[in-house]
Amino acid sequence: MSRTTRLLVAFCFLLPAVLCVFLLRLWPAGLALRNSLIAPGDGGYSLENYRYIFTDPDFLNSLKVTLVYSVIVNPLQIGIALALALLVNAKGPLIGFSRTLILLPVAIPQSVSAVVWGVALRPDGQINAILVALGIEPQRFLTSPNQALMSIMLIVSWIGVGYWMTFILAGLQDIPKALYEAVVIDGANRWQQFWYVTLPQLRRPLTFVLVADTVANFLVFAPVQILTAGGPEGSTNLIMNDIYTKAFVISDPESAAATTIVLVSAVLIVVTLQFHLMSRGEDR
Amino acid sequence: MKRMIGIALASLAGLMAAAGGAQADQTTLNFLSAQKDSIVAPMIEGFEKKYPDIRVVHQSVPFNDLNAAVESRIAQGDTSIDLVHADTPRIPAFASQGYLLKLDDRRAAIEKAVPNKVDLEQVSWDGSIYAYPMWTSTQLLYYNKDLLKKAGIDMPSADPSKRLTWKQLLDMAKKAQEAGAKWGVTFQQVDRYYQLQMLFESKGAGPGLTGEGLLTPAVNTAPWVEVGKWYGDLYKDGLAPRGVTPEQTDELFINGQVAFIIGGPWAISRYDGNSDLHYAVAPVPYFEGGKPVTPTGSWAIAINPHSQKIDAARKFAEYVSLDPEGAALSVKTNPLPPVNAEAYKIYAEGMKKLTDRIGPVIDIISYETQNTAIGRPRTRGYVTFETVMNRAFSDIRNGADAKTTLDGAEQQLKRALARIK
Amino acid sequence: MNEHSSALRYAAIILAALVFFMPLWWVAISALRPADEIFRYISPLSLQSFWPEHWTLTNIVGLWEGSFRRAILNSLFVSAVTVIVGLAICSMAAFALAVIDFPLRNAVFMTMVVSFLIPFDAIAVPLFGIMRDLRLQNTYTGLILPGIGNGLAVFLLRQFFLGIPKELREAGFVDGMGWFGIYWRIYLPLSGPAMISAALILFVFQWQAYLWPLLIAPAPQFKVAAVAIAQFSGQYDVNFGLIFAAALFISVIPMVILTILQRFYSASVASSGGKE
Repeated sequence: MSRTTRLLVAFCFLLPAVLCVFLLRLWPAGLALRNSLIAPGDGGYSLENYRYIFTDPDFLNSLKVTLVYSVIVNPLQIGIALALALLVNAKGPLIGFSRTLILLPVAIPQSVSAVVWGVALRPDGQINAILVALGIEPQRFLTSPNQALMSIMLIVSWIGVGYWMTFILAGLQDIPKALYEAVVIDGANRWQQFWYVTLPQLRRPLTFVLVADTVANFLVFAPVQILTAGGPEGSTNLIMNDIYTKAFVISDPESAAATTIVLVSAVLIVVTLQFHLMSRGEDR
Repeated sequence: MKRMIGIALASLAGLMAAAGGAQADQTTLNFLSAQKDSIVAPMIEGFEKKYPDIRVVHQSVPFNDLNAAVESRIAQGDTSIDLVHADTPRIPAFASQGYLLKLDDRRAAIEKAVPNKVDLEQVSWDGSIYAYPMWTSTQLLYYNKDLLKKAGIDMPSADPSKRLTWKQLLDMAKKAQEAGAKWGVTFQQVDRYYQLQMLFESKGAGPGLTGEGLLTPAVNTAPWVEVGKWYGDLYKDGLAPRGVTPEQTDELFINGQVAFIIGGPWAISRYDGNSDLHYAVAPVPYFEGGKPVTPTGSWAIAINPHSQKIDAARKFAEYVSLDPEGAALSVKTNPLPPVNAEAYKIYAEGMKKLTDRIGPVIDIISYETQNTAIGRPRTRGYVTFETVMNRAFSDIRNGADAKTTLDGAEQQLKRALARIK
Repeated sequence: MNEHSSALRYAAIILAALVFFMPLWWVAISALRPADEIFRYISPLSLQSFWPEHWTLTNIVGLWEGSFRRAILNSLFVSAVTVIVGLAICSMAAFALAVIDFPLRNAVFMTMVVSFLIPFDAIAVPLFGIMRDLRLQNTYTGLILPGIGNGLAVFLLRQFFLGIPKELREAGFVDGMGWFGIYWRIYLPLSGPAMISAALILFVFQWQAYLWPLLIAPAPQFKVAAVAIAQFSGQYDVNFGLIFAAALFISVIPMVILTILQRFYSASVASSGGKE
């Protein structure tokens, strides 16, 4: 099979997807890039929009908030998803149903999830009612600059963890029993089975979940938009919320475009790093 | 698998049929608004009866997304929208960007039908009229009669000349809370400039914007900080609830959890739906030494200058704003006062029926809209201003220091408003 | 891994499911009780917080009579077509990226990855301009197109295909199959679980889509469920009863679909028999 033939065949397989991705994602992104280089009111190209956002305390704050958020929420969600996947990887009545229930939140419109949790986390809401019943002091949650970001993490995790769990579960169920049987014969206990068989076999699904979850978390904003508008005191102003506000509320699409380019670049770097990290020692 | 392909093909056929199903011989107007279909239906029905060769299709978009829809469609020269419902504070921004058709040729007719100067100002920008005014708004003080009785408080008078001061109201609210009410007072639209502007104006602190085109912020002056602190203290002292969003404040009043709520007349139909709730209305309070102020402004109907059916569009716009029949229908299922003077009389007749139960609502509404109404600042930077201020109010409500917050807002506004060219 | 569930494990699973389900239960009971009682019992906790005293179908009925019925059907149609077409083109692309060794392969793969890094809302307006110029406003095509080329689904399937042993492919060549034959007759049948996961990605993308349908198809007959539910939040009054009733519908449907998929899923895993 010659190189040219392979290229041609690959081209045929790839054409529809690449066409869609190009026309519907990359081309508009290119337009956005071009927009970001045009200052409002000017005709020509300049870096004015970038200068504006990098001297904007709001934007710089949103970078910080997004960073803190990502560093905490990604390991948290993946850890919980992994634990849940291990837990529900079993046979039995109602287990399939339980899996569906855990996955279900991702199918609810985000506006509804946000409202429901917004009510639950109200100072007089159900969560505080439960805490009080357990003898704990009621918390401020979304009304406190110290707790609001964690509350958003809670909400986003409730929505998404089942989704990530599903992918890890698929990976788990793909692991051939023979591998486990082999190490069990050698006397491995549960933990060793996990460490020497499960984790290595999960490398590919975990890479997928790590990258996809990281990206998804960088793009979070619906709960913020609906519940906190970036507050209190900017503590939940995730970068995507900043972009959305600039683009659709304040009608400053140029600085929104510049912020988007910064965001995409940052995420690209993070994702590339993750790929490198996960593929070290991939050869089997 | 085969079944799914079958369904897909059938639906595709349906799609093609739908695409080709245009009406012949009829002009179809597309009307973009943030209202529910049920509110717009009576006026469309009335219009189509009067002009059988014009059909109006209502495209309803949620309020928070209307701006996005207008920006992305009208800004790009879309001809598929003929009429757009414009929120009056946004008219300067839309008009200056060319999204709205100038209506100066109809000025005489508009001024005749809508004599109230404040209402006219709401649809104008830079000396020209850009939209047909439809509705206006005001605010009322609602109180829970049962909670006040329990606390032994006298019911506030419905006479605007005997209006409560804020101090008096807070005292009553505290008493009600001590007698068992969960909360003393709340605003309906907490943390929103529309709702809170009346506080700053009443104190004489001004709207927060000054200068050329009202693009210079002035939100950290001493009176602003004073009122800001007053607002924050309501929540610090536990008199008003934190964490409840504007969509949920009505529920507090309906469930008898708050003694006083300052809200718009649209709340009446909601409150009336509850037989357990015994309430009445009074004029909103003011700051002693200052003047009584009420918020105002609502929706107006404008025409897309790129529309290809401008004459037909005019007919509809004038029907629902200048024609008393249409104007009255526009508020049939929507509890807002129409600005059309003739239609207002019809509206007033209907509202008079409420007097026995909840007090002279219509008298208060008429008085406020004519005497104490102050509109939101007419500026291209209004949305930017409002976004930053709403955040500031929210932070103050959640406990942040008023001066620091307003200083921060001032800085943000200076930067953001400078971007508007 | 021990697959027989101990009682403890069982209890843990049920507990986890309950914790995730609790907020949805609140949505359900709020949909089925009079709208004005929804917020009455959130605190202090009482029996009524979890089990309404007055049940009513008013909200559900009120929903069904309106345009919501059409919105749900629209969402179903758009999501279904997205999944079918999307699976086809994404799996083909993933196959090429995982299996065929061609120059610039990694570059194309990174392009796919970049595509799902781009926040959709940030390109919605330029994309809208493009689609409008193609006259795809207020069409089903306009709604469906952005959903079918999903970089994430391509990524997922590529990861999976990478794990299928080369020997199977080589055997296919020996048997005289062309590339397409290998794709269709060897890789796809082995990919049940992965395809279902990819279907989930495509489905969720469309089911949750809000801003795009709002911009491209605001006409009443093309409204999708996620947009329709926002209708019930008027500027002056929010009808939470209708919102939650709508939410109930919007979630029950995927729940049914997911439950059915769970069955396919386990059957797939059993029949593809793992690897080797």
